[in-house]
Amino acid sequence: MRPLATVWQVALREFKERGRSRAYLLTTAATVLLVLGVIVVPQMLGGGTDQFEVGLLGEGGGAIVERATQLGTASDDPGAEPSISISTISYENREEAESDLAAGGIDAVLVADSEVISETGGFAGNTLVDLLQGGAAATKLEEILAGGDGEAARVVELMTSHPLTATSLSGDDPADDTRELVAYAGLLLLYMAILLYGNWILSGVTEEKTNRVVEVLLSGLRPWQLLGGKILGIGFLGMAQFAGTIVLGLIALQAVGEIAIPAIGTTTLAHLLIWFILGFLLYAVMFGAAGSLVSRTEDAQTIAFPMSLVAVAGFFVSISALDDPSGAPAVIGTFVPIVAPFVVPVRAALQSIPWWQYAASVVLTMASIIGMVFVAGRIYKGALLRFGGRITLREAWRGAVE
Amino acid sequence: MLAFNDLHKRFDDVVALDGCSFTAQRGRMLGFLGPNGAGKTTAMRAVFGLVRPDSGSITWEGKPIAHEDRQPFGYMPEQRGLYPKMKTHDQLVYLGRLHGVPPGDASRSADRWLERFGLLDRRDDAVESLSHGNQQRVQLAAALIHDPELLVLDEPFSGLDPIAVETMSDVLREEAAAGKAVVFSSHQLDLVEDLCQDVAIIHEGRIVMEGGVKDLKDSAPIRHVELEVEGDAEPLLDLLDGGRQGRSDGNRHTVIIPADTDMRGFLARAQEAGRLRHFTYTTPSLSDLFREAVR
Repeated sequence: MRPLATVWQVALREFKERGRSRAYLLTTAATVLLVLGVIVVPQMLGGGTDQFEVGLLGEGGGAIVERATQLGTASDDPGAEPSISISTISYENREEAESDLAAGGIDAVLVADSEVISETGGFAGNTLVDLLQGGAAATKLEEILAGGDGEAARVVELMTSHPLTATSLSGDDPADDTRELVAYAGLLLLYMAILLYGNWILSGVTEEKTNRVVEVLLSGLRPWQLLGGKILGIGFLGMAQFAGTIVLGLIALQAVGEIAIPAIGTTTLAHLLIWFILGFLLYAVMFGAAGSLVSRTEDAQTIAFPMSLVAVAGFFVSISALDDPSGAPAVIGTFVPIVAPFVVPVRAALQSIPWWQYAASVVLTMASIIGMVFVAGRIYKGALLRFGGRITLREAWRGAVE
Repeated sequence: MLAFNDLHKRFDDVVALDGCSFTAQRGRMLGFLGPNGAGKTTAMRAVFGLVRPDSGSITWEGKPIAHEDRQPFGYMPEQRGLYPKMKTHDQLVYLGRLHGVPPGDASRSADRWLERFGLLDRRDDAVESLSHGNQQRVQLAAALIHDPELLVLDEPFSGLDPIAVETMSDVLREEAAAGKAVVFSSHQLDLVEDLCQDVAIIHEGRIVMEGGVKDLKDSAPIRHVELEVEGDAEPLLDLLDGGRQGRSDGNRHTVIIPADTDMRGFLARAQEAGRLRHFTYTTPSLSDLFREAVR
């Protein structure tokens, strides 16, 4: 049998047996529920009346707020509690209004009929700002129709435009916030996925030692085929779960109208996928070697602890990269392969990584995967048939030639 | 033919194999005997590349064994191991597939062996739900699933009830009769004597006795004597000069004596004393040979 066909057999078994195991189905269900819950539950809790307060500067804001309220309640059931209500406060000068806005006393400021100021751009756009934009468009429309020069083209243009200039106190481009949300959510998923599936490799390897099936297996195949097949099989399962969760999450987000899918962009998804594969492979190989060092599942977590710690460190570096994607920790992390899978996708999602750093990071990570395959492969080989307590790395390394 | 040529293996300060050489022939069954820790498992693992000898070689059909050559080998390790949660049939098919058996053949072969061991109705049960004896049957089926030319079994009979021993013996006999080389280790010497044409006895990493069971017994420099004596046996036993007391059970005594002992003289003296009630003089049993060899 060709060597790769054997790897495929091992992968297929992992895929089939683990795929229909209760543990896999349960984690899949739990992840899906978690993601849906995070997205849908706030939406359901959002019933009742949303209270907004808008500061008005100059003339013309009152009519816009009135129309905005009509728009916001247009689809309410007759007689039901209105879904939004907007109250207004008039200001004399902009500084006063902005300081109230910053303090959270009001939610937005309308400057005459030309500008809307919000505190931040908001992760997922800003419902109030959207409503005010709609209200402004409706007001303009009314003027035009009252003036009798209602050209169709002008009407359509108004209906689809944002007549108010949107600014925010923090000065962010609102699109940045969406990117940040995506980067954060993606990072969280990536981190969970790499550690979760890495741990499956770990326990899978240890289990084969615990139940001693490894000796039967190794009489017919080579250690690298066993480890390779296992990583491949679990990798496919993990990717199915990972990708499925992301797609479901996107659909749910779209359904509740939080984020338009195009805002996330296929490139960000591609980055996540690339780094899931790279990160998973790197950690899978390390977890596989660690799993081979112990014979009991209870010991497996202990031995994997240092690696989990590294992953946690990587997670924190990437959290700091969210704040400062071009800062020193983020840049250094880009070139440290065991941290890079967490840092680079964040920087990529925030569009603040030079292409050469990205490319160099991919190359470095791939190189260390290959290097790790050899190191871990030898440890794995040397440790698999040594039972009993915990085997030291040195014993395993030397054991490979016995 | 499977040949071990002067295998040496040391684990830190423990010498596991110290010049181990013997051969196993196709169409015959070889009992691989030795006290615990003599090196049996190490030698068997070496066949599968699970242990790399420090020096010496193992050849199959005259050629050193490469990884690909092990495809037609079947192995049952001392520490049994199967995936506990995997269905019996699926497990056998998987192991067959790893040895290059096409899916359809692997499935048919799995069912055939399960039927042979009376486990066909358990084919879709998880291995962990089977009894110890049945798990062991599945383990043997796992070694046989790809119709190997060489079977290496590490203590296949340990912990089995007599019925299971019977089934397993029958299967191994058939496999050997079909022209396969069968090597197994065991401490059940009577069973080995009954089943095997050949034996190899290993002691402290070295083969101390090897050959056909019948030849070894016939050419052994010792004989097995059993006698039943009335009263004090000491004077009579003293007559068996150079003899070694086996066991004594009341009036019944087992003695291993050099083959050239003058039995005529002994019997004459014994009859004079008139106290000998029962007497047998035979070639030694395999147990006798074993005890002599590893003393």
